[in-house]
Amino acid sequence: MKTIACYTLLFLALLLNSPVARAQFDPDKVCRIEDGQVIFTLNLKWSEKEKKEVSKLFDLDSALIAQVYSGKSVIVIGDESWKVKKLPADLVELSKSIQSKPNKNIKINDIFLVLDKWMNFAGNEPESSVIYGVNNFEVSNAFIYSSNTARFYLPIRKTAQKVYISGTFNNWSTTQTPMKMMDNGWMVDLKLKPGKYAYKFIVDGRWTTDPSNKLRERGDAGDYNSVVYCCNHLFELKGHKDARKVVVTGNFYGWNPRGLAMNPTSDGWSLPIYLRDGTYAYKFLVDNEWMTDPGNPTVREDADGNLNSFLSIGQSFLFKLDGYTTAEKVVLTGSFNGWSENELVMDKTAKGWQFPYVVSAGNYEYKFIVDGEWMIDPANPFTSGSGDTQNSFIALKANHVFELNQYPEAKSVIVTGSFNGWNTQGYRMAKEGGKWILPIYFQPGKYTYKFIVDGTWILDPANKLYEQNEYDTNNSVLWVEPFN
Amino acid sequence: MINLDQIFKMKWERIKYRIICSTIMVAFFVFLSSFSLRFMASTFPNASIISIYNSLNASSSDFYTPEFKLKADSAVIPMKRVGRLFLIEATVDGETGNLVFDTGANGLVLNSTYFRNHVRSGGTSSTGITGSVGHVEQISVGQIEFADLKYKNLKADVANLGHIENRRGAKIIGLIGFSMMRDLEIMIDPRNSVLKLFKIDKSGKRLKSGLSEFKPDYTQKIDGNTNILFLKGIIGGKTLNFCFDTGAETNAISSDSNKKIMSTLTITRRTALKGAGAAGSEVLFGRMNDFAIGNQPIQNMETIITNLDALSEAYGTHIDGMLGNSFLEHGIICVNFVKKQFGIRFTKGEEK
Repeated sequence: MKTIACYTLLFLALLLNSPVARAQFDPDKVCRIEDGQVIFTLNLKWSEKEKKEVSKLFDLDSALIAQVYSGKSVIVIGDESWKVKKLPADLVELSKSIQSKPNKNIKINDIFLVLDKWMNFAGNEPESSVIYGVNNFEVSNAFIYSSNTARFYLPIRKTAQKVYISGTFNNWSTTQTPMKMMDNGWMVDLKLKPGKYAYKFIVDGRWTTDPSNKLRERGDAGDYNSVVYCCNHLFELKGHKDARKVVVTGNFYGWNPRGLAMNPTSDGWSLPIYLRDGTYAYKFLVDNEWMTDPGNPTVREDADGNLNSFLSIGQSFLFKLDGYTTAEKVVLTGSFNGWSENELVMDKTAKGWQFPYVVSAGNYEYKFIVDGEWMIDPANPFTSGSGDTQNSFIALKANHVFELNQYPEAKSVIVTGSFNGWNTQGYRMAKEGGKWILPIYFQPGKYTYKFIVDGTWILDPANKLYEQNEYDTNNSVLWVEPFN
Repeated sequence: MINLDQIFKMKWERIKYRIICSTIMVAFFVFLSSFSLRFMASTFPNASIISIYNSLNASSSDFYTPEFKLKADSAVIPMKRVGRLFLIEATVDGETGNLVFDTGANGLVLNSTYFRNHVRSGGTSSTGITGSVGHVEQISVGQIEFADLKYKNLKADVANLGHIENRRGAKIIGLIGFSMMRDLEIMIDPRNSVLKLFKIDKSGKRLKSGLSEFKPDYTQKIDGNTNILFLKGIIGGKTLNFCFDTGAETNAISSDSNKKIMSTLTITRRTALKGAGAAGSEVLFGRMNDFAIGNQPIQNMETIITNLDALSEAYGTHIDGMLGNSFLEHGIICVNFVKKQFGIRFTKGEEK
């Protein structure tokens, strides 16, 4: 009863309160343009938070706003002069003439970058950062994936002339991948690596999602694309035929107890899944009872003493440090594990130290910690940074090699570009067989880059593609195609 | 021991806490509802700026007639979407990539990254609305192919289009506007990302009459003889001259427009870009609340508000604004330069 009374009071308080709050702070009513003047109506009663929001939305300097609130009538900031006019009801008008003449010093890109922030795009996660995925087809044979071959099938009775498949695997090409006409529809086999792919069919020029695929996501254009996972693991649980519900969950799913539902099979339960390269802890939930995977001997205890099953996807890479045989403890640390200082304790061997580690394809920086002392990998010539911030650099599953077949006498050759924020300290190339090289892993897409040879920036002399940059010099251009 | 005063204080604190929480929730709701339309418009479809590039030189030598590879009377071209741009996959003299369908471009423009070594055929200079595009050279192109269409012996401007590639992550070999489609009927279906081209006779009629004719809700006569399409739109009761620009990721309106027009806009964002050692350039962003074409009002279109003098100068005619992607998503558009007719069938709310 007390609670009801309390809420009624609250409701009344809100009824009285909210219209006032709305009238006081409506960012849509702040800015207007009149006779070549841009005018901002500010309320002197605004909270600091509201002032901050207005400052952010309309790119108004916080110093400018502070001066308005301190009661100045003319404010000069830089070469702009602002007028302040007091209005009744705690309102002030801040105005100046609109500065909108095209300015040669403003780069097109700067404007685009700002506008892109204002406009929401679908913002789908890059496919390489997707950790897991499960398909959802209406019929089980609408999509088949085995031996790295994906079979797409489009059952259409109507007589189409030409059908293509277009997706992330072919850069959404509308012409590269035709489908074959079969008795009851159209089919295509594509060599695809395990992973997530978005796609559509193009039937006589018209885009269509896969009618038998229930998994879809919104694209930039606001329409939907079909999504498929080429699976690389099968969770299996034999028996438990009388269970009502079996799910699997693990660290790939945030240990959500809702889990991923497994499907009944002739002798138990199973679920095909895509898992990105890495090591995963998981458990089954059989009618809400937790259990480790009886078919998997790898079971480890977690920090709370619970047993979990473990599986690894992908090949492991062997990190090695020769020597230091008298050291007590050597730890591998790097960008692949958030530079944790105690997680990856290396194993001692006769010659030194080693640690096999499964990491997904990518570029990583790392160091060894030998009895508390941080050091770069002495056997790896590729580095990034300098001095204390110098790290060893490794590209796992590298799919491109930067090469510079000149300047054999140079002391330092660095390749830098859009892929590392144009860092002037990396990546440091190594001389091999008379030329400078750096193997690197790239997602499909466009990259711009340059070499820095003993401090001098140069284009890649072997690459005929380059574009003008904002400094009116050029950057080399590299396109990485989808790799399948 | 806790005395009564303290108990009262604690209770009051709790009530205060609840009031604050509920106020926040209501404020959030009000915020959401006031933004929902814009939010929906921007999350779902498309988006952004002004035309990428506008070429100065308009001449009738920029009109081309394609060969249809299949000897067909029409072509259906699936367009790709990146951001709010429409791309057409094409091969230009052996270089395969995407052409941006940009009706704000007067002629064909090719990206210097891939075509800087082509044979030059003279020099021109150009301007883009957002600043100078720089010196532009003209080259000769042997052949362009896309969908079932083939063009031979064309002229093209070469410009740096790297910034579009860098923003949108797609290989852009050039921009294509109306110049290459003038003797065809052009149907743009933005919601389905399809461009349809129909062969027409001298009177502008489709050759194959069996196809269901386009039934527009509204038509407007095309004035002039340029590759750029200018449309009359109404804001605040005033008729304004808009450039129809599929390469503009959002609408644009001139910041010089009069008070009455300006008062119908809601301005939600502003940025003051600082140039090196010079005064900043302001870009404002908001919504058109009172736009109509014919008798059809279209509300809540995203727009930028900026100075369009450079563009007006480039097109040689006064422009009050640009109708870009925020406009396109409202209908299916049919353009016939022979009949001199622009038509639109509104699709807002219709199922795809």
